[in-house]
Amino acid sequence: MTRKLMLVFGLIAVLAFGARPVLAHHGGAAFDQANTQTLTGTVTRMDFVNPHVVVYFNVKGADGATTEWSGWLTAPNKLQRAGWDKHTLNPGDKVTVTGNQQKNGSPVLQIRKIAGPDGKELPTFES
Amino acid sequence: MRMPVIRSMLAAAVALAASATLVAQGAPAGQGGRGATAPAANPGPAPAKDLTGIWFMRNPPGKNGPWTNFTYTDPMKNPPSLTAWGEEEFKKARDSNGGNYTLDQTNDPVLTKCYPPGVPRVYFHPYPFEVLQTPKQTLLIYEYDHWLRRVATDGRSLPNDPDLLWMGTSVGKWIDDRNFQVETVGLNTRTWLDRLGHVHSEQLKVTENFRRIDRDHLELDIKMEDPKALAKPWTTTFYYENRPQWELGEISCSGDYLDWAAVEKGGKDYKK
Repeated sequence: MTRKLMLVFGLIAVLAFGARPVLAHHGGAAFDQANTQTLTGTVTRMDFVNPHVVVYFNVKGADGATTEWSGWLTAPNKLQRAGWDKHTLNPGDKVTVTGNQQKNGSPVLQIRKIAGPDGKELPTFES
Repeated sequence: MRMPVIRSMLAAAVALAASATLVAQGAPAGQGGRGATAPAANPGPAPAKDLTGIWFMRNPPGKNGPWTNFTYTDPMKNPPSLTAWGEEEFKKARDSNGGNYTLDQTNDPVLTKCYPPGVPRVYFHPYPFEVLQTPKQTLLIYEYDHWLRRVATDGRSLPNDPDLLWMGTSVGKWIDDRNFQVETVGLNTRTWLDRLGHVHSEQLKVTENFRRIDRDHLELDIKMEDPKALAKPWTTTFYYENRPQWELGEISCSGDYLDWAAVEKGGKDYKK
């Protein structure tokens, strides 16, 4: 019961503050919701498919090594209604991505904000 | 004991909200006729006996919105009145409320098995629905998983001994120029009523009243009656806005939906 109540209060706060569950259908408990990080990288590909749009991008670390991350967005329907299409991001595009990393340290990110090559933030939900 | 627990929950809720950096953003102009169009400040009157269009859940300011996404009433102040059987069944639920779960942690049948959502659970998916009207039936088309409900408007009565279906059997009638009432029975018992995990029996009857307030706004009153699961009817109201420039897209609960567990375990994609 305590978990249920926690979730309910969390929902109140999320909605009251104007935020919303990022992944719409799936939960976000696998991601570190207490911390966000911002990464800058280069798009390797984007899968504009049901149920989640996925942006794959390379990030160069301080040691010079390159790691490919996958960043998870909501459903393509929702992004399409917000103005996206399958060509919004293309291989080679520079992106700045803010989100919550997978808790086990994998290079997997639940995306909260994303800016394209022109530096402008792209909407992540329809309105 | 109860108050400290509630205080700690409130603190956690505020912390969660503070950590949620996704703020409401304005959408750009639409592409392909699919962009958003906010309702007019003074929308025209509701057309008579007409619900056609695409409707998207939007809670007006001051309305009891937070609950409407995942359950029907404030679970702390106004929880459903359950029978003893309903209470026992509810204890078995591992909810999918609030977004704070993994597929391993919930037994929500929609998320873990891709079961059809049932009625009225279908309204808890954050996708729009479309209404089409013909002389003898009204079609309710839900973007989520392409669900279609055929509401007979040819004057027939509800069946006395309905087959049990995922989305039930529905009849509808116009009460007046703005209110369309839909009654549904024959819902199979493998679905939940909400995302907290309240169950229903084969005795569930759902009455929906679609009330078109004006051209751009729709209210949906829902009443659930189930003498086996609910000690008294459970009621709520949902709020919708018209999205005339939208088209329904494709969302199928299959394959990758269930394979999402691979991502939750740290995989970079669904593939196993």
